[in-house]
Amino acid sequence: MIKHHPKFELLQSFVNGELPASLSAGIAIHADMCSGCQEKISELTEQLSYASFEEAYLDNPMVEEAGTLHNADDVNFDQVIAAITESNDIDVVEPKIEKNITFKDEVYSLPSVLNNMVLGKTANIGKISRARIQLDENEIHSSLLHIEPGGSVPEHTHNGFELTVLIAGTYSDEAGEYEAGDFIMLDKQHQHHPISEQGCLCFTVANDSLHFTQGINKLLNPIGAFIY
Amino acid sequence: MQVDTRCLRNDSISANSNSMSNQINHKELCQWLTAIATQRDKEAFTHLFHFFAPKIQRIAKSKGNTDTQANEVVQETLGNVWRKAHLFDGNKGAVTTWVYTIMRNVTFDMLRKVKSNKEDTLSEYIWPIAEAGHIQESDFTDHLANKRLRAVIEKLPENQQQVIKAYYFMEMSHDQLTVHLNLPLGTIKSRLRLAISKLKAQLGESNDQTSS
Repeated sequence: MIKHHPKFELLQSFVNGELPASLSAGIAIHADMCSGCQEKISELTEQLSYASFEEAYLDNPMVEEAGTLHNADDVNFDQVIAAITESNDIDVVEPKIEKNITFKDEVYSLPSVLNNMVLGKTANIGKISRARIQLDENEIHSSLLHIEPGGSVPEHTHNGFELTVLIAGTYSDEAGEYEAGDFIMLDKQHQHHPISEQGCLCFTVANDSLHFTQGINKLLNPIGAFIY
Repeated sequence: MQVDTRCLRNDSISANSNSMSNQINHKELCQWLTAIATQRDKEAFTHLFHFFAPKIQRIAKSKGNTDTQANEVVQETLGNVWRKAHLFDGNKGAVTTWVYTIMRNVTFDMLRKVKSNKEDTLSEYIWPIAEAGHIQESDFTDHLANKRLRAVIEKLPENQQQVIKAYYFMEMSHDQLTVHLNLPLGTIKSRLRLAISKLKAQLGESNDQTSS
């Protein structure tokens, strides 16, 4: 059973379209596997739409002005309407395409939200493989992270936030076991050492590098930015 | 009257939202949208446009967009409404909710274009339109029958699948199909007939009682 879900505030920003593409994709992947959050998203969408189109204007002294909104000088509504209705084309929803992705001979079905995103070349360090998702969001990096059975990420903290959405398989750390669909958001306060006995595939988003905390692994810090 | 059953849920939304001086007539919005979907009704679109455009403009400006950007959001959103009207299902939610999701997607893609210089229109993948505002969807669908029907449809030749899906699942008219697929009316009709007879054979005539 999925135990880890996005916080309410995060869902709200998601519905409102305020999150970067990377975090939005993380929530979409989770919601695809979690009917509870799916339902919350539907409810929030309904509430926010009412708030946008109804209540926001009722107590607003500007309402009067809205009636006389600059149709004339700004934009001519009639012209826009004519331009839009000139064409009788309609949009057709394309059937969902199922894409697969392979890491170390394991084939996984790709979450459909990632269908249109560009994946970089896979880089490998030991049992860890990582393919960057090219979203061009500056300091925010998104990746597909694969851990082979028995693999682990050395104990680390995060210089920024680190989101992991488990797509397939399981892993565990000091805080417990995770399974497919879990949405795990961590920050500076969390120090952990994820191990995957059976192997797993994750979608990850981080806005800074990992910081390795123990002994010899400190030597890994220059590559902390590499993994996530 | 067909239009009325399509908008029943929107009617009840109006009845339930007793809030203060709430003036939105959801049923009327839904009837306009239905008229656009089924008859490409420009007058209905004009009504809908005048209802939403000032509100969308205001929301866009409140989010820090310039006048030009706000007008772009208005045009893009309502252009989508015109082209996607047939995808709206009045029994799943309110017109306002549906338009809100379109506005949100348009804004998201525009912002991404400005910030990351990317024109990848990710919004339709993040918020697939089929799922937009679907609440209480499972009320009347028979999942097992649906699943079986879909499986049988998937086995049809590609060109027959195309007409069956467009005609029944997206409720496109024969005329819309001829325009969209760029095929003569006769071909559309014969493909439909062919596909339906195959479906009947696969599912057995007993399944046909509801449509006769």
